[in-house]
Amino acid sequence: MSLKTSMYEATFILRQDIPSTEVSKMVDVLTSLIKENDGEVLKHEYWGLRTLAYPVKKNKKGHYVMLVLKASHRAFLELQRRVKLSEDIIRNLIIKIEAFDSNDSIMMSADNEK
Amino acid sequence: MNEEKIKNIESIYENAHKRLFFRKQSLCPLSKPDSPKIDYKNIKLLTKYISEGGRILPSRITYVSAKKQKELRLAIKRARSLALLPFVKL
Repeated sequence: MSLKTSMYEATFILRQDIPSTEVSKMVDVLTSLIKENDGEVLKHEYWGLRTLAYPVKKNKKGHYVMLVLKASHRAFLELQRRVKLSEDIIRNLIIKIEAFDSNDSIMMSADNEK
Repeated sequence: MNEEKIKNIESIYENAHKRLFFRKQSLCPLSKPDSPKIDYKNIKLLTKYISEGGRILPSRITYVSAKKQKELRLAIKRARSLALLPFVKL
């Protein structure tokens, strides 16, 4: 049985005081979670430790991670549930996208600062 | 003589009518074919459309079309929720 799949773009902010090895571990966890639910990760990006525009849960900075995935609605719900439970993830945004661009997003180019 | 005059006046009116209804060019800076895509990740673009205090600028100031303003509004709100843009700047 094949489920209807959509493309999603999921961006997370991770706590500032975790090392970057933990960040990649978190990406692996989420990737395997999506794979378990018959989805696939098309692209993942690490935007680095950025300064937040306003403090979030007493964090002034945060690790930004973005995943582009193709998955069913059930996988999306599972991902959302898992993300909400995690204490390392302080903010998340998961949106549906129409088209997938395999090039690096604007965030990866250095001049995208205020 | 009189008929000619009337014809002249008529033609002036006709032309004036034509000039009144020329096509207005779109002023929207985001509707051009080469304008960038509105995305919550493109902070450099979005900061152009927020005020010093962090508010979204009205389209009557920026000349953004209604369609694009709607997209812009969504993108700015997404960027705010990810702490890429401020809700209020002091």
